[in-house]
Amino acid sequence: MSWYALPANVPWLTLAVVIPLSGALLVALTPAVARRVIKQLGVLASVITLALVLVIIGGFQQGVGNLHLQFEELRQWVPAVGISYHLGVDGLSLFLLGLNALLFLIAVLVTSSAAPRLKQFILLLLILEAATAGILLSLDLILFYVFWEAMLVPLYFLIGVWGEGQRVYAAFKFLIYTVFGSFAMLVAILAVAAITFAQTGQLSFDWTVLVQHPASGVWHLPLNLGEIGIPQLLFLGFALAFAIKMPLFPLHTWLPAAYTASPIPVVIVFAGLVSKLGAYGFLRFNLSLFPDAAHSLGPALAVLATTGILYGAFMALVQTDLKRLVAYASMSHLGFIGLGIFAGNLLGIEGALVQMVNHGVIIAALFLIVGMIERRSGTRDRAQLRGLGASAPAFAALFLVISLAALGLPGLNGFTGEFLIMLGAWTAFVPMAVGAGIGVILAAWYVLRFYQGSFQEAPPQPAGFGEMRVADAGVLAPLLALMIVIGVSPAFFPAAVEATVKALPVLLR
Amino acid sequence: MTINLNGIGIDYGAILPELIVTGTAIVVLFLDLIIPARRRGWLAAVSIAGLLAALVASIPLWGQSRAAFGDTVVADSLAAFFNVLLIVISILTVLISPRFLRALDLDYGEYYILVLGATAGMMLLAAATSLMTIFLGIELLSISLYVLSGFARTALRSQESAMKYLLLGGFATGFLLYGMALIYGATGSTTLRGIAAFTTASGLGASSNVLLLLGIGFLSVGLAFKASAAPFHMWTPDVYEGAPTLVTTFMSVATKSAAFAAIGRVFIATFPSIASRWYFPLALIAIFSLFIGNLVAITQDNLKRMLAYSGIAHAGYILLGILPGTAEGFSATLFYIAAYAVMNFGAFAVVTALGAGGDRTADLSYWRGLFYRRPFLATVMTIFMLSLAGIPPTVGFFAKLFVFRALVDAQIWAPLIVAVIMTIVSFYYYLRVIVVMLAAPDEAAVEKERVGISTGTVIGAAAAATIILGIFPAVVLNWATHAASVHF
Repeated sequence: MSWYALPANVPWLTLAVVIPLSGALLVALTPAVARRVIKQLGVLASVITLALVLVIIGGFQQGVGNLHLQFEELRQWVPAVGISYHLGVDGLSLFLLGLNALLFLIAVLVTSSAAPRLKQFILLLLILEAATAGILLSLDLILFYVFWEAMLVPLYFLIGVWGEGQRVYAAFKFLIYTVFGSFAMLVAILAVAAITFAQTGQLSFDWTVLVQHPASGVWHLPLNLGEIGIPQLLFLGFALAFAIKMPLFPLHTWLPAAYTASPIPVVIVFAGLVSKLGAYGFLRFNLSLFPDAAHSLGPALAVLATTGILYGAFMALVQTDLKRLVAYASMSHLGFIGLGIFAGNLLGIEGALVQMVNHGVIIAALFLIVGMIERRSGTRDRAQLRGLGASAPAFAALFLVISLAALGLPGLNGFTGEFLIMLGAWTAFVPMAVGAGIGVILAAWYVLRFYQGSFQEAPPQPAGFGEMRVADAGVLAPLLALMIVIGVSPAFFPAAVEATVKALPVLLR
Repeated sequence: MTINLNGIGIDYGAILPELIVTGTAIVVLFLDLIIPARRRGWLAAVSIAGLLAALVASIPLWGQSRAAFGDTVVADSLAAFFNVLLIVISILTVLISPRFLRALDLDYGEYYILVLGATAGMMLLAAATSLMTIFLGIELLSISLYVLSGFARTALRSQESAMKYLLLGGFATGFLLYGMALIYGATGSTTLRGIAAFTTASGLGASSNVLLLLGIGFLSVGLAFKASAAPFHMWTPDVYEGAPTLVTTFMSVATKSAAFAAIGRVFIATFPSIASRWYFPLALIAIFSLFIGNLVAITQDNLKRMLAYSGIAHAGYILLGILPGTAEGFSATLFYIAAYAVMNFGAFAVVTALGAGGDRTADLSYWRGLFYRRPFLATVMTIFMLSLAGIPPTVGFFAKLFVFRALVDAQIWAPLIVAVIMTIVSFYYYLRVIVVMLAAPDEAAVEKERVGISTGTVIGAAAAATIILGIFPAVVLNWATHAASVHF
C-alpha cells in the first residue's frame, strides 16, 4: 500500500503516544477557567495525533520487516529482568491505530466546552488516548500490561465522575472485573516468560521472541485430577483479561451499566475502541503465542461468541432506553468479531479485523446519534420519540445511512466484515454461522425499529426537534465517509493486512 | 584490668552516618533548652541539616565492605542502601511535622530527638552484623517509638497505643534475646560471620542442632514482630490507630524497612546453609501475613487500621522475596521495601494532612466525596492506593512483579499462588477508598484550609516518585541488586 517511505530515524510510534500526553500536560498547565483554550488544546493534540497516524498508515509497507512489523523501536527498559521498550505496528494494529486517533478526535470535538470540570475531562481523555495507542503498539508483554492497566484509571474516572445515574457503581464494577482479568493475564505473562527462559535461556518478555518459541508441555494436576496442557492454561490466563474487556458472554455483566453511565464522548471511545482492544489482544497474544491452544479452545469460545451475538441482539430488542439499546447492539456486534477470531481461519480473522474498524465507526456514530437525540429532545426513551423525520429530514437521512450500515446492508461497511466472518464461521463450524445469521436478522429488527419508531410515524413528538447542524454533521462526516468507502471497496482493508494475517501462527498450524 | 581496643578495628568512619544522626539528636536536645517555644521550627531545621549530613556521609559507604568494631557492624552497600532510605523517610517526616505538631498542640522538642534516635537505631540495625548490635539497634528504635506512640499525652488512645506497644514489644524483645542466647550457646559466637562459619562447618549437623534451630525460631519471632508480620502482628492496628498519625507515618515505613534489613542479614547471609530448615516457617509467616493482612483489611472502616492491615500484607510480599534465597529474590525484596516506603509514607501523609479536620478524619465515612472537597489530596491518595494495589504505571506494580518473577524463577508455587489471589482480594479495599472519595458528598463542601507548602511538597513528591519509579524502575532496581549482592 505504501505511498511513500518515511525516514527511519524518527520515533514515529513513540510520537503517537507522546503527542496526546504532551497535550495532556499543556491542558494541565492551563488554568481551569480558560475553557475555550482547554478545548482547543484538546482538539489540537488529537488533530496532530490523527495526522501523524495517517502519515504512519500511508508509509506502512505490506510484507516488509521482521514478522511484518514496521517502525519498530527497541530500547532497554529494565534489562535486569528482560523488560524492554519495544514498539511496532503491523497489520493487526495499523487500522485500529487510525480508529483510535479518529474516535478520540471526535470525542474531544463533541465534548461541550460548558461541561463541568472540563479541564480534568480533556486531560483524562488525552491520557486515555495515549494509553490505548500504547496498547496497540506495545510488543513487550510487560509494556503492554502497563498500558493496559494505565488505560483503566482514566476510564474509571471518566465514568465515575462525569457519568450519569449509577456512575460510581458502574465504574467500580467495571474496574473490579477488569483488574481481575488483568491479573490473570499478568500471571500468564510471567509464566510464558519463565517457560521460554527455561527453554531457551533467554530472559525476555518480547513478543517477537516469545512468538518464535511457543510454550508446550502438560501440567499434571495434584491429587490425580488429570492433566491440562500448559499452553491451554496460559491461553486461558490471557483470554480472561481480553474476554472481560470485549466483553464475551458471560463476562459482559459490567457492560450495560458502564456504557449507560458513560457520557457520550466517553462511550464513543469506550464502545468504539476499548472493547476492540480485547479482540486485538486475542489476535496479538492468544492466537500468536498459543496457536495449538487456540485450535483446541477456539470452538468453545466460538460458542460463547455466538451466544453473545444472540443474547445482545435479544436484549437490544427489549430496551426502551436508546443508549442501552446501542450498548447491547455493540455487544452483539462484538460477538461477530469474536466468532471470526475463534473460527481460526483466514476468512474469519480478516473479517474480524475489518469488522473491528467497522464496529468502531458504526457504534461511535450510533452513540453520537443517541447523544444528539437526547440533547434535542431531552429524553432517550424510545416510547416518547416519534416522527422526528418530519421536523428534521436531514437528521433522518444521515441516521438512516448509519442504521443501514449497522444492520449490514451490502454497499456499506457493516456488510463486508460480517460476510467474511460468516464465511469463515461456515467453514469452521456451521451451527455458529447459522446463529450469527439469526443475529443479523435480529439486528435488522432492532435497528429499523429504532429508526422507524422514532423518525417515521407521525405526528412528530416531541415538537420542535432541531435539525442536524453543520457542526453535528461535521462530526459524523468522517464516520459516514468511512462507511461508504469501506462499503464500496470491500477488498481494501483485507488486502492491506493480508500479509500479517497470513503469517499468524494460528493459521500455520 | 586494661582492655586493648586496638585489635578490634575501631573505625568511626564506618559508622559515621549513625554518629552524625546521634550527634544531631544531642545537639537538638540542648538547643531545645535555649530556643524559645515559638521558634521550635529551628529544631526541625537543625534535624534536617543533620540528616542531610548523614545522607552525604552514607554515600561513600556504597561499594565498600568495611567490617568494624570487632565485626559487629559493617559499612557496605546494603547498609548504605538502607541508610539512604531511612534518612530520606526521616527527613520527609520532619518536613511535615511542625505544622501538625502545632495543630495537635504537641509542639515539643523531644519529638525531633526521638525521631532522630529511632532513625539512628534503624540505621544501626541495617548495618549490624552481630547479635549484640542487632539488639542495640532494635532497642534504640523501639524505645524511641514507644515514647513517640504515646506522644499525644492527653489523648487516651495514644496512651493506650504506647502501652500496648511497650508491653507487647517488651515481650517480643524477650523472645529476641532468648533466641540470641540460644544461638550463642549453640555456636559459641555472637557475630553473624562467626555463626555462619559454624553452621557451614558443621554441615548437616547444623540443621539438626535443636538449640540453634530454637534460637533461630525465637529470633525470627522478635524480628517478625518488628516487621509486623502475622501472626506476630496483633499490636499493629491498635498502635497505628492510636498513635498520632504523624508518628504512624514514620514508623509504618521506617520500622518495617529496618526490620527487613535485619531479617535479610540473618537469613540470607548467616543461615544459607540451613535454608531448608527456615524456608517452611518463613513461608508460613509470609502466607499468614498475606491472608490476615488482606482479608481483615477488607472489613476495616478506619483508614489507619486499613493501612495497618495492608502493611501486614505487604510484610508478607516482602518476605516472599527472601524465600528463594537468591540474589534476584533479595534484590526484589529491597526494591519492594523502597517502593513500599514511598507509597505507604505518601498514603499515611495524606491521612495526616486530613487529620487537622478533627477526630474522626481517619474514618472512611469522612472521605466521602473527597475529590470534590480536596482534589489534590484525593488525587495523590488515588495514586498511592493504585500503587499499593500494584496497578501500573506505579512503583507498586514493579515491586510485585519483581518478587513474583523471583518466585517463578525459583519455582516456588504455593506462596506465589496465595500472593496472586490475595493481591486480587486487595484490589477491593484499596479501590474502595477511591470509590468512596468519588461518591457524591453528603453535605456541601465545608473545609477550605490548605495543606501547607512543605506538606504539599512532600506528598506531591511522594506521588511523583510513585509514578516516576513506576515508569523508570531500572535505576532503583540496579541499586537494590548491587546492595543485595554483598551477600552473594
